[in-house]
Amino acid sequence: MKTEADYYALFEAYRAGELAAPARQELERRLAADPSFAQQLTDFDLLNGTLRGYGERQRTRRKLQAFQAALDAEAAAEETYQTGNPVMPTVHISGVERTLRAFWGNHRATIAVAASVAIMAVFGTLLGIEWWKAAQKPAPTYGYTMLRREVERIKRTQRAMNRAITQIDGTKAEEVNPGKFSGTGFALSPNGYLVTSYHVIQGADSLLVESRTHDHYRAEPVFTDVARDLAILRIVDKDFHGFGRLPYSFKRTTADLGERVYTLGYPREDLVFNDGSLSARSGFEGDTGFYQISIPVNPGNSGGPVLDERGNLIGIVSGKQSDVQSAAFATKSSYLTRLVDSLQTATVAHDITLPRANLLTGTSRPQQIRKLQNYVFVVKVYE
Amino acid sequence: MGKGLPSYTDAEFVAAIRQDDDRALAQLYRLHLPMVLHLVQQNSGTEDEAKDVYQEGVMVFYEKVRDGSLELSCQIKTYLYAVCRRLWLKRLAEKNRFGGSLSDHEPYLETGAEQDLLDAQERDRQFGLMGEALERIGEPCRSLLEGFYLLDKSMQELTTEFGYTNADNAKNQKYKCLVRLKKLFFTHYQEEESF
Repeated sequence: MKTEADYYALFEAYRAGELAAPARQELERRLAADPSFAQQLTDFDLLNGTLRGYGERQRTRRKLQAFQAALDAEAAAEETYQTGNPVMPTVHISGVERTLRAFWGNHRATIAVAASVAIMAVFGTLLGIEWWKAAQKPAPTYGYTMLRREVERIKRTQRAMNRAITQIDGTKAEEVNPGKFSGTGFALSPNGYLVTSYHVIQGADSLLVESRTHDHYRAEPVFTDVARDLAILRIVDKDFHGFGRLPYSFKRTTADLGERVYTLGYPREDLVFNDGSLSARSGFEGDTGFYQISIPVNPGNSGGPVLDERGNLIGIVSGKQSDVQSAAFATKSSYLTRLVDSLQTATVAHDITLPRANLLTGTSRPQQIRKLQNYVFVVKVYE
Repeated sequence: MGKGLPSYTDAEFVAAIRQDDDRALAQLYRLHLPMVLHLVQQNSGTEDEAKDVYQEGVMVFYEKVRDGSLELSCQIKTYLYAVCRRLWLKRLAEKNRFGGSLSDHEPYLETGAEQDLLDAQERDRQFGLMGEALERIGEPCRSLLEGFYLLDKSMQELTTEFGYTNADNAKNQKYKCLVRLKKLFFTHYQEEESF
């Protein structure tokens, strides 16, 4: 009986091709017939192959290490050759610094990204705040406030009121489009011309004029003067049949300082009266086209008439200075009359006949207002 | 370079190494060492680690060439770079210091190198087991087998060295040792396999 070692001798001879032909055939027959014997050969091959590979690998490793050693020796030789030179100054790096350098080497990409994100975040925030602040600033002219009323702001309160009303009587309140802005305007001539401030109708798509008795008329701008903040409108509604005789006249000269003046306007849904004095004969930043008046005015008063004691129209309310106590400005009536004169002689002539007689002179102020109130209108602007 | 050393093209390198030309292997080793040194040192490694990785990489290449199973679809340089890059990534992962990305300075291509590396690592495992088995087999088997397989000595040399009466005796001893080695090796091999 052969031992396994004997078989190994046989296998080695077989793999080396040293077996004689009959012995080889005998072995191959046995391998084919006996699977466990074939397994022994496979194991032998694996063992032998691994051992040889292992040997090969160790030899290769030694070879490569020898190459490396040769290279290192070469480099060392070069270095020793160079030490013929004077001693070079060496940089001494402390342990801490080495750690820091290694940290920087490993993480500089991450640090760079983090830093740029931080910088962008900071500047983004700062710019955003600046931009937001700029957006919050109301008007480009510092301290000067235009007095047209933003209806949208009031609409919310109105809705709340409507809701309250609905709750009380159970009926749904009539939804009226209140327009985007509103101001005040007053009659210029009996045939349907009106005056208001330019900034009231600025950017308007359509205009609606509403009287104290809630009659609505559609109007269109005829002429505007941006510098004097004036706009002349004409009522184009077929239901309109004229204002009748106007009770006030237009003053063509400059009014006197200290004159007691008053205005009527629609800073809210109802007609509001306010009075004061003529404080200066120039307007904001010395603008000679305007008066300064000490009438308390509010958004919505714009375009309202300013009248003196005798019922002469001396100006049109334009704006106020927000950082000065009670300083409102009104366009001088002399510019209005001049404008009307030029319109009459223009190529497309407008038939604007300014009233000459003044029916208000000598009457008490309540009487004046009673007559006047029918000629003061709300100007509603739709964009 | 150029100190009278022959210069090879990639194909010539492969052919020369297949014929066991050590000069070519030395030249190849010298040629691509700086690349790997740079790669490893740029990615938080030391010079010694770089050399280590490089030797592993050249080994993979060398064994594939000797094996005749190398399918080189790119330059040797790119192949070595890919292998060493992979090896270094593995080392970094073991050291838990891998920051998530490696700064490459060579074009890194998906080559067959990755698969070759896996094969080589499987062989590594086998060789490790074989080394262990050889450690445990005891004398004189260990010296005999190492002499024959690892140090490439002939049976005649071994016969005189170990004082056998003739080469046949030595051979018989070798076969007995092989049988013992087989048992040691395969018990481990199968243990590991059954994992």
